[in-house]
Amino acid sequence: MAKPRPVTGLHPDRRLRPNARRILQVRIDEVYSFDGLVADPANVTELHDMRIACKRLRYLLEIFGIAFEADLEPFLDEVKGLQDLLGDIHDCDVQIPMLEGHLRWLSDREGGAARRLVAQTTASRPRRRTAPPKPASEAAFRVFERQLETGRRGDERVGVHALIARRRRERDELYARFMDTWRRLKAERFRPRLEAAVGIEGDA
Amino acid sequence: MARAWEVPGLRGDARFRDAAGRVIWTRWTEMMSYREGTLLGEDIEELHAMRVSSRRLRAAMDAFEGAFPPKSFKGYLRQVKEITDVLGDARDLDVAIERLTGLLQGLRRDERAGIEGLIARYRQERAAEDPAISALFDRIDETGFEERLAGYVEKHTGVRLAKLKPAPPEA
Repeated sequence: MAKPRPVTGLHPDRRLRPNARRILQVRIDEVYSFDGLVADPANVTELHDMRIACKRLRYLLEIFGIAFEADLEPFLDEVKGLQDLLGDIHDCDVQIPMLEGHLRWLSDREGGAARRLVAQTTASRPRRRTAPPKPASEAAFRVFERQLETGRRGDERVGVHALIARRRRERDELYARFMDTWRRLKAERFRPRLEAAVGIEGDA
Repeated sequence: MARAWEVPGLRGDARFRDAAGRVIWTRWTEMMSYREGTLLGEDIEELHAMRVSSRRLRAAMDAFEGAFPPKSFKGYLRQVKEITDVLGDARDLDVAIERLTGLLQGLRRDERAGIEGLIARYRQERAAEDPAISALFDRIDETGFEERLAGYVEKHTGVRLAKLKPAPPEA
C-alpha cells in the first residue's frame, strides 16, 4: 500500500480551516496522481493505491466538512462512489488468486488422501507370496491418484471454476464502470470544483 | 453501516488542535462501544460496526497527525492500525461466507459442492480469528492503552476528555 504523502506547513494552533485546506490539497493531488496509471486494467497495484487515496480523501471530507461553508456532501458522494468501485475491483483481484489457491489446496488434499490410501492398501494386502510385493510404478500411482481425484473431490472444482469465471466477468464490468465514472468526473471538472469549494487557489 | 457519532463541541472555527482532541476521542469511544458485541460474536454486524469505527478513528488520526509530536504519535497509530487489521481479517471472512452463501441458491447443482466446500473452509478460518481478536483486546487492557491514549490526547490538544462524553446518535 502506498504511504500517504507528508503534509508540511501545518499550524496546529491556528484554525481548522487553513490546516484542513493544506491537507486536502495534498490528498486531492494524491488521487489525481493515479490518472493515466489506472487507464490500464492490468495495473492492479495502482488501482488499489488509488482506492486507498480515495478513501483518505473521503474521510477527510467527512472530518473537515464542518470547517467549510460550501456543502461538501456531493463531492464526498462522488469520491465514495469511486472508492466503492475500486474496492469491488480490489475484491475481485484478491479473490481470484485465492480461489485459484483453493483449487491447488483441493488437489493437495486429494493427493494426500491418495497417498494414504495407497499406503493402507499396500499394508493390508495379504502376503501369500514369500517375495515382497513390488511397489506400484509411478505411472500406475498417477492413474490411481487421478481416478481418486475424480471420484472424491473433482466435483468441488466445477463450482470453484465457475466462481472464478464469474469474478473475472464482474471485474471487467466493474473496471469499465470505474473508467466511465473517472472520465465523467474529469469532464465535469470535479477537481477544480472541489478545490474551489475548499478555497484552494488554482485555475478553477 | 453504523452512523458516525456526533463530535461534541466541534465547531467550524475551532483550533486544529482542539478539533483533533475532540474527533479522535469521540472516534475511540465510538469504536470501543462495539467491543462487547464483537467479543460475544453473536451478530457479525457488531464486528462490522467496530471495524468501520476503527477506520474512522484511523482516518481521524491521519488527518490530525500534525497536532502531535510525530515520533510518539506513530506508536498510537500503530496500535489502532493493528485493531483495524485484526478486525479486517475476520470481517473479510464474514463477508465472503455471507456472499458465497447468498450465491448458493442460484447455482447449478454441479457447482454447489465446490462453493459449499469453500464456505466450510472459510468458516474454519473464521473460527480461528476469534481468539486473535480476544487476545488483541486483552493486550490493550494489559498495557493500559486507553488510559495512555487519553493522557496523550489531553496533553497535546488541551481538550478535557472527561467532560467530552461522546454518545451514539439518536435512532
